Amino acid sequence: MNSETIRNIVIVGGGTAGWMAAAALSRCLDNGITRITLVESEEIGTIGVGEATIPPLLSYNSMLGINENEFIAATQGTFKLGIEFVDWGGIGQRYIHPFGYFGQALQGIQFHQLWLRERKLRPTPDISAWSMSAVAASMGRFARPGVKAGFPLNQLLYAFHFDASLYARFLRTYAERLGVTRIEGKVADTKLRGQDGHVESVALEDGREIEGDLFIDCSGFRGLLIEQALKTGYDDWSNWLPCNRAVAVPCAYEGPPDPFTRSTAHSAGWQWRIPLQHRMGNGLVYSSDHLSEDQAAELLLKNLEGEPLAEPRHLPFTTGMRRLAWNRNVVALGLSSGFVEPLESTSIHLIQAGIAKLLALFPDRSFNPVERDEYNRQMQEVFHDVRDFIVLHYHATRREDSDFWNHCRTMKIPDSLARKLALWHSKGRVFRDGFELFATPSWVAVMVGQGLTPETYEPAVDALDEQKVAAAMEQMRAAYLEIAQRLPSHGEFIAQIIAQRPAEPELPEFVF
Amino acid sequence: MRTDRLGSILVVGGGTAGWMTAAALTKVLGELPGLRIELVESDEIGTVGVGEATIPQINLFNALMEIDEPDFVRATNATYKLGIEFVDWTRIGESYVHPFGFYGLDMAGIEFHHHWLKGKSLGDPAPLGDYSLGVVAGLQGRFAHPRLDQPNSPLSKIAYAFQFDASLYARYLRGIAEANGVVRTEGRIVDVLQNGETGFVEAVTLQDGSRLEADLFIDCSGFRGLLIEQALKSGFEDWSKWLPCDRAFAVPCESSGDMQPLTRATARSAGWQWRIPLQHRTGNGYVYSSEHISDDEAAATLMANLDGAALADPRQLRFTAGHRRKPWIKNVVALGLAGGFLEPLESTSIHLIQSGIARLMTLFPTLSFDEAEIERFNAQTVKEYTDIRDFLVLHYHATERDDSPFWDYCRNLEPPDGLAYKLAMFRRNGRIFREQEELFTETSWLAVMVGQGMEPESYHPAADLLPDEETLRRLAHVRDVIARTAQALPTQDQFLRDNNSASNTSLRRAS
Repeated sequence: MNSETIRNIVIVGGGTAGWMAAAALSRCLDNGITRITLVESEEIGTIGVGEATIPPLLSYNSMLGINENEFIAATQGTFKLGIEFVDWGGIGQRYIHPFGYFGQALQGIQFHQLWLRERKLRPTPDISAWSMSAVAASMGRFARPGVKAGFPLNQLLYAFHFDASLYARFLRTYAERLGVTRIEGKVADTKLRGQDGHVESVALEDGREIEGDLFIDCSGFRGLLIEQALKTGYDDWSNWLPCNRAVAVPCAYEGPPDPFTRSTAHSAGWQWRIPLQHRMGNGLVYSSDHLSEDQAAELLLKNLEGEPLAEPRHLPFTTGMRRLAWNRNVVALGLSSGFVEPLESTSIHLIQAGIAKLLALFPDRSFNPVERDEYNRQMQEVFHDVRDFIVLHYHATRREDSDFWNHCRTMKIPDSLARKLALWHSKGRVFRDGFELFATPSWVAVMVGQGLTPETYEPAVDALDEQKVAAAMEQMRAAYLEIAQRLPSHGEFIAQIIAQRPAEPELPEFVF
Repeated sequence: MRTDRLGSILVVGGGTAGWMTAAALTKVLGELPGLRIELVESDEIGTVGVGEATIPQINLFNALMEIDEPDFVRATNATYKLGIEFVDWTRIGESYVHPFGFYGLDMAGIEFHHHWLKGKSLGDPAPLGDYSLGVVAGLQGRFAHPRLDQPNSPLSKIAYAFQFDASLYARYLRGIAEANGVVRTEGRIVDVLQNGETGFVEAVTLQDGSRLEADLFIDCSGFRGLLIEQALKSGFEDWSKWLPCDRAFAVPCESSGDMQPLTRATARSAGWQWRIPLQHRTGNGYVYSSEHISDDEAAATLMANLDGAALADPRQLRFTAGHRRKPWIKNVVALGLAGGFLEPLESTSIHLIQSGIARLMTLFPTLSFDEAEIERFNAQTVKEYTDIRDFLVLHYHATERDDSPFWDYCRNLEPPDGLAYKLAMFRRNGRIFREQEELFTETSWLAVMVGQGMEPESYHPAADLLPDEETLRRLAHVRDVIARTAQALPTQDQFLRDNNSASNTSLRRAS
C-alpha cells in the first residue's frame, strides 16, 4: 500500500454534509489504514433546509448499499416526481418541472421539437402530458419502476423528500457502524503547519486536539476551516440572486402526501412546500431589501395549510461560492463551500457531487496540486450550472407586480445563461455542456413553463410527416395516461413498503 | 464527596481485553468528575485475538455498553451462535452439540432430563439433542432471535452468542471508548516505576522517554503480564497437569459458504481443532500438546483439515493453562491473558475478560486499596477459573478414545476434586447441581456429560409422577414441536440478510 496514504480524516461538523461525507468515505476508504473522525457539537444546531432532493441521490444511496425502504421508513420520507412551480411565469400560471423525459425522439428529432411544431399546427396539450413522472404526479400516484420496466414506465425518475435531521441520524448510524469515530465537542481553534499552512489539528474547547492529514469542513456558512482559518474568500452572487433570507416552519397537514415539491412565487421571493409522511415542511425565501423579517414570517404563517408545529426559524445567507472549495488540505462540503437557494432542491446534490469528486480525486499525503485544481474546476462548473438554472426561473417571467420582480426581469444575467436563452429563442435548441447537472428536459420544462416561446422549431422537423407525427404523439400520450392510472397512490405505496416485513411463520407451541 | 477517589486509570495494552476494559470503564465511570481513563498500546505489538467465539453472557456486556446488535454484527463480520458442536470427542465418528438454552421443558417440578432418562429406560431411543431447539436449528444452519412474546414456543428460550473477528471487535470498542473520551497513547513500554516503599506502580515509561502515571493500572499486556508478573511477581498457577495442551496454530480460510450457527471443535490425536464460521471467512486453529505432536505435524494437520483455501500462513501461539496466583496486587489488576489462560474449547476467553471487568466494577477501589476487597476479587477470580477448568477437563477425561498416548493420558488422569464430585453425582441418579456463581449451567454439564457418553444408572424418583405412557407421549410432543419450530426459522444466511441488510459486508476487507 502507498506509504503516503491518508491516515486521518477529520470531518468538522455533523449536519447533513458531515454525515453524508462520513458515510461515503467510511464505505469507500475502508483500507485498514485511513481513520475517520467526525467532530460535532450538540450545542450547534444544524440547518437542514434541503429536505427535497433530485434523482442523482439514488446513486449515492446505492453506492452506500442503503436499502431504500429502510431509508424511507427511517427518515419519514416520501417520493418526489418533480417540482410544481406556481405564479412564476405570471401570477395564476403553474407548470411542473418533472424528473425524467419528455416523450420519445422520432428519427433522431428530440421530442420537444416535435411538440413545438405540433403546437403551431393545432391546439396541443401541455408538454407535461408527455412526461411519465408529471402524469403520475398530477394523479398523486407513484411506484418504483423496477429495473425491468419498459416504455413508458422506464421514463419515470424519482427522488425523495425527507426530514434532514433524521437523514443525518440515519447516516450517522451507518458511518459509526463502519468505524467512524464521533467526538462530541466544539472546535475552538485551528492550528496551521508552519511550512505549508496546512491545517495540522483542531483544538476543542475542552483542550483536546485532533490531528488530521485531511480535513473536511462541514461547519456550515461560517466555514470554520476554509474561511476563518484559511481565508479562502467568497464569490458573492447576490446581484443575480438577490434573495438572502429564509424563514422555515413545519406544519400539520391532511394527507395523503403529494409526490412533488411545490414552489410558489410571491412578491419578493418564493415559498416551498415539502410533503413528508408526518408533517409538511414550509419555508419562505426572500430578499431582505424587499421584505422585512416580520413580514416574511407573517406571510409564511398565513399561507400554511395546517397548524404550525414549531416557531418559524430565520436563516440568513449569501448566495455564492467559496473561491476554492478545496484549499490546502481542507475540503469544504455543504454550506461551507457555497450556497444556492433550494429552488431546484440542489443543496444535497451539491454535497453529494463534492463527495463523489473528492473520492474520484482523492489525495495522498503529498497533496498533489493537480488533483486539488481539478476538483476546484469541476466544483465551480457544477455551482455555475446550478446558479444559471436558478437565475432562469427569476429572469424568465412576465411579472411586474413588485420591485423585486422588476429587478429580476430586467437584470443583466450571466453570459453563459444569455447564450442558452438565445439558442432557445431562435429554434428551441438546448445543449447540455460537459458535466452539466440539468439535462435538456429540465431546461425545456422551465423555459416552456415560464412562457418562453421560441420563434420557430428546428428545420429538420419538417422532414417528418405531420399526420404520422401527430398519431405517434397521441399514442405516447395515451400510454403515459394508461400506465399512470395503474400505479398505486403515493400514500398507499409508502404504507406498503413500510409495512413490508418478512412474513412471520406460525410458531408451534407446547400444549399439555 | 469522597476525597479518596481515583484520579486516573491506565489500561496497559490494547487487544480485546484492553479495549473491552477501556470501553466499559468509560461507559460506567466516565462521568465521575476528575477521573481520567487512558490506554497505552503499541501498533508494533500484535494482538492475539484467538477468542472469536463467545457465550451468551456477551449479550449482557453489549447491553451494558448499549451496543446496537445489528450494528455490532455488521461491524465485526459476526455470525450468530447457538452452541458448540463437538466431533470425535467420545469416540471417533461420534458427535454432539453443547447448546446454549434449554432442553425440552421442566415437567412435574423436576428438570426435563430426568423425564428423558426415564423415557430412555422405557425404550424411547431419541437422543437428547432432539429436545433442544438450539441443537436442531443449529445443525440445520438456522437461526432466529428469542421470542419472549411466545412463552409456549421453544423459541422463547433460545439463547445465543456471537462469533466475530476479534480485531474488528477491538476496533469497534476502541471507537466507542475514544468517542467517550478515552485517550489512547501509542508507545511501547520499556520500564515500570514502582514506589520504593509500597511497591505500588507509579508510572510506566515509554520508549520515547515519556511517562504515563496513574492511580490504577489495568494490565492487559497479554501472556507476559508486564505489570502483574514482570513488575509485581504474582506467580503463575500451572494447570498443565490437567490441561496438557500448550500450543496452538491458528489460520483463517475462505468461507465454504456454510454459516452454521455453531462453533465446531473436532478432537484430534493430540488436541483439538476449532472452526469458527464468520460472515467473510472461517477461523481455524489446532490446540495441541507439544509433548505429543511436533509443531510441523500439528501445522500440517491443521492445513489438511480446512474447508477452504487458507488466507494466511498458520500462526503459532504458545501458552500454559493456568492463572496468575494473584490477578490483583496493590494497584494493578490483570485482565485477559495477563490474568490467566484457558484454552478456548468452551469459548470462555472473552467471558473471562468481561466477568473480570464486572468484578472490578463491583469492587472498584479507592486510593486506600482495601486489602479485603482485593482478596475477594482474587478469590472469586480463581474460583471462576477453577470452575471453567473443571468443565474443560470433563471433555478430555470423559472419553473412550484410546487411539493415541495423548488420549490415554487424558482418560486416565486423576480429575480435580470438584470435577470428581460432579461426575459421581451424575453417574448415580443423573443429578447436576450448579453452585452459586458457576458459569456453566446444568444444561451445559448435561450436554457434555451425556454427549461424551456418560449414562446415569437411574433418574430422579419424582419423574414417576407422570405415568409411563404420559411420559412417552409428552416426549414425542416436545420433539415434534421443536422439529416444526426449527423448520419455521430462517437460515443464518437469510437471517443476516434480513436483519443486517444495509451494507454489503462480505466485500469488506478482513483487516
